[in-house]
Amino acid sequence: MFSVLWLRVRAVFRRKSVETELDEELGSHLERQVEKYVQGGLSREEAIPRARAEFGGVELAKEECRDARGVRFLETLLQDARYGLRVLRKSPGFAAVAVVTLALAIGADTSIFSAVYAVLLKPLPFKDSNRLVFIEKKNPPRGWTRNPISPAEILAWREQSGALEDVAAYTLSDCVLTGAAEAEEDPCETISSNLFPLLGVNPILGRTFSADEDKPEGPRVAILSYGLWQRRFAGDENVIGRAMDIDGASYTVVGVMPSDFSHLYDPPQSQYDTLSDAGAALWLAGIGLSPVHAWNDYFGIGRLKTGINLQEAAVRMDAVSARIDTLIPELKGWRAQLLSLREMNAGDTRPALLVLMGAVLFVLLIACANIANLFLARGAGRANEFAVRSALGAGQGRIVRQLLTESLVVSMSGGALGVLLASWGCKALVALAPAFLLKSVPSLGTLNLQVLCFALVTVMLTTLFFGLAPALQAARPHSTETLKETGRSSSQSPRSRRFRNALVVSEIALAMVLLIGAGLMVRTLAQLSRVNLGFNPSNVLTLRVPLSGERYTEPQARVQFWERLLSAVESLRNVESASVSRGLPIYGWNGQFFTTADDPNPPAGHVPDANYIIVSPNYFRVLRIPMRKGRSFSDQDTQSSERVAIVNEMLARTYWPGEDPLGKQLRVGGQGPWLTVVGVAENVLSQGPADRAHAEIYVPYQQYPWLLGGPKHLLVRTSAAAKPESLVHAVVREIHRLDKDQPVADTVTLEQYAAAPLAQERLVMTLLLSFAGLALVLSTLGIYSVLSYAIAQRTREIGLRMALGAEQGSVLKLVVGGGATLALFGIGAGIAAALALTRLMADLLYGVRGTDPTTFAVVTLILGATSLLACYVPARRAMRVDPMVALRYE
Amino acid sequence: MTAQRIDLPQGTLDLLILRTLGLQPQHGWAISERIQQISSDVLRVQQGSLYPALHRLERRGWIKARWGTSDNNRRAKYYELTKSGRRQLEAEKVAWDKLTAAVAQVLGTA
Repeated sequence: MFSVLWLRVRAVFRRKSVETELDEELGSHLERQVEKYVQGGLSREEAIPRARAEFGGVELAKEECRDARGVRFLETLLQDARYGLRVLRKSPGFAAVAVVTLALAIGADTSIFSAVYAVLLKPLPFKDSNRLVFIEKKNPPRGWTRNPISPAEILAWREQSGALEDVAAYTLSDCVLTGAAEAEEDPCETISSNLFPLLGVNPILGRTFSADEDKPEGPRVAILSYGLWQRRFAGDENVIGRAMDIDGASYTVVGVMPSDFSHLYDPPQSQYDTLSDAGAALWLAGIGLSPVHAWNDYFGIGRLKTGINLQEAAVRMDAVSARIDTLIPELKGWRAQLLSLREMNAGDTRPALLVLMGAVLFVLLIACANIANLFLARGAGRANEFAVRSALGAGQGRIVRQLLTESLVVSMSGGALGVLLASWGCKALVALAPAFLLKSVPSLGTLNLQVLCFALVTVMLTTLFFGLAPALQAARPHSTETLKETGRSSSQSPRSRRFRNALVVSEIALAMVLLIGAGLMVRTLAQLSRVNLGFNPSNVLTLRVPLSGERYTEPQARVQFWERLLSAVESLRNVESASVSRGLPIYGWNGQFFTTADDPNPPAGHVPDANYIIVSPNYFRVLRIPMRKGRSFSDQDTQSSERVAIVNEMLARTYWPGEDPLGKQLRVGGQGPWLTVVGVAENVLSQGPADRAHAEIYVPYQQYPWLLGGPKHLLVRTSAAAKPESLVHAVVREIHRLDKDQPVADTVTLEQYAAAPLAQERLVMTLLLSFAGLALVLSTLGIYSVLSYAIAQRTREIGLRMALGAEQGSVLKLVVGGGATLALFGIGAGIAAALALTRLMADLLYGVRGTDPTTFAVVTLILGATSLLACYVPARRAMRVDPMVALRYE
Repeated sequence: MTAQRIDLPQGTLDLLILRTLGLQPQHGWAISERIQQISSDVLRVQQGSLYPALHRLERRGWIKARWGTSDNNRRAKYYELTKSGRRQLEAEKVAWDKLTAAVAQVLGTA
């Protein structure tokens, strides 16, 4: 069987050698026959013709041998392909446009759909992942959402709601690892022992935590992430049981998690979430949940009971929360906020991805319309060729096959190029995607093969279908009619012309919708970047310095460290000012309740809250936050001086409307000393430009070095000439001069932080713009090809008109008018569709409405102008028609 | 050349080729010579149709070809039976015997 296959393959691809062998075989047969006759007494001259005559036609025999080998089909296929390539080479414009259109459509579609699949559709790598829910809480009366939850709530929901099989909890912190290797700070999580079993994930080495390790005073055990294991233990298989120093205490390593176990439940925008954060590096036991603790420091992951959906679970958990309201006053008003784990990981990218998916679908449609148009125009133009060929005896099947092969050649080359583009596009998407999405969806850059196949098949089917349409037309018996019409005249039937015009109109309409979508995103981004954040992020370097460990348990040690560091850094070249803070604008929301002396006992559930920021005196200078009233902090604000605070305008306006906030008193957390307001700072949009301003309280770090772990972020404003990045080395050297074991993390410029909240909008805008550009090019090509073709068809008519005295201007009008009508119809339909569709992207817009007249007007102008240009080029060609030449053609 | 030669009936050439090759591998010319010789010059192989038949049998996998050197050191394409070719030969021989017997019977009684 195999040898037979080889025989055929050889017959096709090594045709030459097979033919030579056949020649040799037949030749030697004749030679022997001649010899036989010569031996029989004939002369050679007589023997040769006789042998030939006996043999019969040598060529006929060869032909029959080839037939007998059964390779005719393949051979003609190759012949067709060769002919197809030759024909395509003769019209490189057509071939290039068709191939590039196919490639772009396949490439763009596959990369976007792959991303949509990875983020929205692909099952998470957990056991029964669709029943996993991420649990946070919200406070509807006060409009607060996505807050961390407390142990009391976790345990009550787990035991009493009846909606959840189990709930696991974890809290986030930063751990400092010391010991043999260089000190480093890593994000870590203290988890309940049931977290890994709940997710259904097993360690690759060792074990997960046991239930008795949940006690806070239990044994100190840790599980490593794969990355940390590789980095700090060089992937040592014998790491289990080894000790490591975490935050100055000795822990025993009991397990290592697999490499693909990523940080799938990290709440975005949490105070620990930073740009370079790659997920938890290690997990610690000893979470110690207690039913009476109302500390809101935890996140929950639950597994829904079978048959209970998210809404039912929320209803049942709310009933439990209502009971908690009466038992624990601090938790009054809070209700569970459930997110499926998938939504949780996708963040709020869903609307963006759906809009992008719509956009690529449009591009695909436009590409298909363009391909159809190209092939139809081309096929109609070749009606004459096919008529000649069928008159010369080519069967309909043969012509169909010829066209089929041509389409195949086009779609194969387009497909191959498209696959290349798709794999490139997937990588490009990873480069553009927001950091948190990459972190929670590690498979983002993976090319999805099913999607690729879908796009390939769709586009190739279109190619084949429309490649064949003219063949079916051409091979009809009326081909003699076509011949009689002497070639150049109009062989275009009104019906096929109408169909092609409809294709062009829909292309333009689709392009219009895409352009408007892209335009709206451009306007959104322009609006967002015009928003005054309240601080100036340029030329500021930020570094995270945890200052933990035994050396810094004494508050005064911390103050000393910072005082020394700040003066050392400020004396560096190119440094203008420096400060430390706990929390950064954009990242680092730290909400705290506070009360004012004017209203010291607000009813439970109505206690005001504010972003609480601990800063050094130069903070406002470094960030260029203007003081509206009063003074900034100074080095005279110390532990022994009056306790002071600075509030922002928002807080002052809300709680002391119409009064002078200076001298007012407030206290944070419902206890502790009263703080006197000494200054009012301008509002900072601490949640990004799309958010409103929130109340904020600043306190000087010298007065509160012991609170909440103290400041961590070093902020350095460089002189305008120096790039912030260029100072990293010098600053880190100063830190290590004070404490050589002090880890430094997240050296990020403030500009990078400030750009992060816009990353998604920027991505959507970039992609929509490229799709819209693509659509514009394709639809322009659509108009161009239809008009060019129509003019080629009407050369004789135009020549005749000109011979009869038509002005060039009127010819121009004739052609451009035809194209402009199509464009107008397309634009009109596009506007109507856009009015209906841009409503769907309302979630993505900021400061601009989906029906923004400016965007609509600009896009109409752009599309109108390019359409006219597409008409003008062929129209000029029509104007230059020489009547003599055109008429002589006949 | 005394005996009157007859052309081969349709479909019998394949059988004859298989039979000839069943004795030993042969090249094309020798096959036609051999058939003629064994049939005492009665059967004449139409040489033009010999080669298409050989190629057809090769495609079906009943014979296979290889290049070798012949009697006087000339390159020649030798054909030989394959295993399935040998089975085919047996089957066709049985079918042929049945056919000839049946035809003879009809002719004898009619």
